[in-house]
Amino acid sequence: MSLWVDKYRPTSLGKLDFHKEQAAQLKNLVQCGDFPHLLVYGPSGAGKKTRIMCLLRELYGAGVEKLRIEHQTVVAPSKKKIEINTIASNYHLEVNPSDAGNQDRVVVQELIKTVAQSQQIQSSTQREFKVVLLTDVDRLTKDAQHALRRTMEKYMATCRLILCSTSTSKVIGPIRSRCLAVRVPLPSSEEVCGVLASVCKKEGLLLPPELAKRISEKSGRNLRKALLMCEACRVQQYPFSADQDIPETDWEVYLRETANAIVSQQSPQRLLEVRARLYELLTHCIPPDIIMKGLVKELLSNCDGQLKTEVAHMAAYYEHRLQLGNKAIYHLEAFTAKFMAIYKKFMEDGLDAMMF
Amino acid sequence: MNCVRAVKEEQPGDVQPLPGMKRSDKARLWVDPSFVDLMEEDSSAPAKRKTSRSESSRREQKKTRTRRDGSLIPKDWRLQRDQNQAWVDRYCPTSLVELAVHRKKVEEVEAWLRTHTATPQGGVLLLTGPSGCGKTATLRVLAVQLGLRVQDWTNPSSLETSGSQQELRTGGFYSGSQVAQFQEFLLRANKYNSLPMAGGGGAAGGGGAAGGGGAAGAAPHRKLILVEDFPNQLYRQPGALHDLLRRFVRTGRCPLVFIVSDGVSADGGSRSLFPRELRDELDISCISFNPVAPTAMMKVLTRIAALEAGQSVPDAAALDRLCSGSSGDIRSAINSLQFSTLTDRSLPRDRPVKTVRRKTSRQTRETRDRDREQEQSIGGKDSTLFLFRALGKILHCKRDPGGRESPSLPSHLSCHRREALLEDPELVVERAHVSGEFFTLYLHQNYLDFFSRLEDVDRASEYLSDAAALTASWTSRGLMEGYGSALATRGLLHANGRPAAVGFRPLHKPGWLAVSRKLQENSLTAQALFRSFCLTPVTLQTELLPYLAQLSSPMRNQAQISFIQDVGQMPLRRFPSRLKLEMLMDKEPGQLEEEEEDEREEEGQDGAEEGLASSQPQAASSRLLLEDEDLAIEEYDSG
Repeated sequence: MSLWVDKYRPTSLGKLDFHKEQAAQLKNLVQCGDFPHLLVYGPSGAGKKTRIMCLLRELYGAGVEKLRIEHQTVVAPSKKKIEINTIASNYHLEVNPSDAGNQDRVVVQELIKTVAQSQQIQSSTQREFKVVLLTDVDRLTKDAQHALRRTMEKYMATCRLILCSTSTSKVIGPIRSRCLAVRVPLPSSEEVCGVLASVCKKEGLLLPPELAKRISEKSGRNLRKALLMCEACRVQQYPFSADQDIPETDWEVYLRETANAIVSQQSPQRLLEVRARLYELLTHCIPPDIIMKGLVKELLSNCDGQLKTEVAHMAAYYEHRLQLGNKAIYHLEAFTAKFMAIYKKFMEDGLDAMMF
Repeated sequence: MNCVRAVKEEQPGDVQPLPGMKRSDKARLWVDPSFVDLMEEDSSAPAKRKTSRSESSRREQKKTRTRRDGSLIPKDWRLQRDQNQAWVDRYCPTSLVELAVHRKKVEEVEAWLRTHTATPQGGVLLLTGPSGCGKTATLRVLAVQLGLRVQDWTNPSSLETSGSQQELRTGGFYSGSQVAQFQEFLLRANKYNSLPMAGGGGAAGGGGAAGGGGAAGAAPHRKLILVEDFPNQLYRQPGALHDLLRRFVRTGRCPLVFIVSDGVSADGGSRSLFPRELRDELDISCISFNPVAPTAMMKVLTRIAALEAGQSVPDAAALDRLCSGSSGDIRSAINSLQFSTLTDRSLPRDRPVKTVRRKTSRQTRETRDRDREQEQSIGGKDSTLFLFRALGKILHCKRDPGGRESPSLPSHLSCHRREALLEDPELVVERAHVSGEFFTLYLHQNYLDFFSRLEDVDRASEYLSDAAALTASWTSRGLMEGYGSALATRGLLHANGRPAAVGFRPLHKPGWLAVSRKLQENSLTAQALFRSFCLTPVTLQTELLPYLAQLSSPMRNQAQISFIQDVGQMPLRRFPSRLKLEMLMDKEPGQLEEEEEDEREEEGQDGAEEGLASSQPQAASSRLLLEDEDLAIEEYDSG
């Protein structure tokens, strides 16, 4: 039993549930023979990866779905071995180079070179090129991105790149200009509801439209999340009721509680407790920037309108620090302390104003 | 065993020099490069002692040591010693009165010795304390007083052992295994009494004369094994020492005393050699010495100065400065005293006089500081602080209420006015002997307990964040580290405008190190276990895993299930339980090995590094990958 997300993932461009126009364009792109490098970007859960896999199937046929997970070793010029996991079929290779940390430059170059140097076995019946799919391109180091630029040009004859990222802002200009940028926006709320309904129908379940609506809102139109939520709802209670609780992830609940703890009391002791909670979140693999975002969202909904600009400003400031540094706790804690101070001052001022 | 052999070899050399034994005499020349008449006198005195205290003649190469038990050596002989002998040895304490150690400590050690020499079981005692605080001196004085023979271990140098023919014959394949020799020493010293030599000292010979092991119950074991020096290998593998000790304790029949100086260096500390569990397990008593108190040291220095009155001896003020400069290390204080008299002989005496005059004319704090600096440049000991105390100095934020007047601040800045600091923060960090970044982590872990107002906390946390941002980029980290720690310490001190009234507060080790390691480990494991989902790390960790935890799907393997339960679910309780804070103990060195780990993590900041968690099932591949991690730093240098 696999997850609904995987089970009902569309496998061809024709079967995609939304952004059908774009799907048609991609189909045309494949059919006209040549094929530029692609940069597919869009928010998480919009279906970038699904779309790319459909595209690959359109290119190479069903053979592309025979995936194997490989453990590759790349040797850096300094004789250092870098191990990286790749997912490959006979026609393509998928790799997340940021897994290699700051050695990603070597990984990118070496892997593309290996793929590009081996010709297709039957080039008469197949495409002349193979595809390298790089995910998380926005997390590549600048080094690796520049290396990529050169590699892209060099192996144009035998290799096409598909880059996948959530935003283009961290992709350097030269790469952006060498790729055909394809944006995959989030599905609309109706589209999410439609997908949920069709999945439930295939599962033989009856999904009340209200619940579908609520799930789509709660998931923030992130389709992956919506499907996971829906499946979790199914585990929680069936038959569905329109007003049943939609299960949230534990860490989101935990983060909200943390925010409440910050708002309810402002003292050094409380800050110590909050720090322990932040540590707990971090050990559960929640990235610091997501903690920061979640915290800010919860705090903003809890505080007065006058404070919102200042809080947002502080959040932006410390989020930037978070990106620069590597000891996240300093900045998370500084933000928390800052918020506590601002909030406390505001409440005290308010109290004074009420008394006089 | 070794000792006895050594005696046999040396004795003829002392009593009637044979041509063949010239070598051993010559070999001793470097120890005692003095005049002929003194040599003769010298050779007769130790010879007498040697016969009585045969087992301790191991120390013969270190002549200086043996002279410490001065009770057997005539007093006048002692006084006649040549000028070349260090004062530390010449004036080593011979009675309890002369000891510069606090009476309580001495009594404590004495009580232990009395109880453990009375019973045949023996026991293990660990003496710790900074170097030069009188641990060895105390023990030796007490041993003399209680009539105990001290049998001590010195690391054999390879030269010495290969020189001894007997060693070669019996030991055969001597291959530098100091540990094996050490083990042999301990077990034999424990098992056998020394041979009763002619003219043996009363108490010492008495126990031995009863002979053999059979007399264990009857005659009290008037013997003491002393280990000050550990074979180097044992520092690397404390486990071997622990096994050895377990064996010793099982069969032990005489008290065993270890003396370990605790310094700031991470290795060789009593902590790695004698971890707490072992101490509890083997019932090792531990007595920790403090640095010598200034008054006690002053007394000793004055006594020596009086005895050396023949020469030009520094005045009381100079002695005082020596005292304060030596930071409780009496050995170094005596050495510097001797050294300062040496310089006096060749140099005009105006320098110390000048400083004194300056001091009396202007008693300000600055001149006192400068004096101290000056004196330390001559004979002072580089004082070090244990991390615990260094942190305390910053966190407790001691200020000098009657400090010098600083120019008054304008009214709008008056909230920033602070009294002068008692400690120089940069100096504190420097003396703590850990990297600035590491020090800041410790500060961050502990600062909240010391603040009373949220506004102060706000400012302090801002400073800490600034300090972290300063050292964020690895290209400039080496340069910025000092500034970062200065910013952090001074920021904390400044922000703590109204320190919480705290007494003693326990300090904790930084949680961040453990957290970041756990984070790294968990994310790598997540990647490895759930690779088949083809998701990016962030989506995997924030979306898939938490929901997988809520879906009961039977197909996953055991490792995945346990990981989901561990990471995907959060304990929705008020206080997290997973994070156990480790207490920072007094006198504990910083965890340097963790720091290195930390460095490695910083390096791979852009993403999860390769490598799997060692706690997870994929053992084979993970070992490979972890090795890779070791190379990371080298790479960083070359790249």
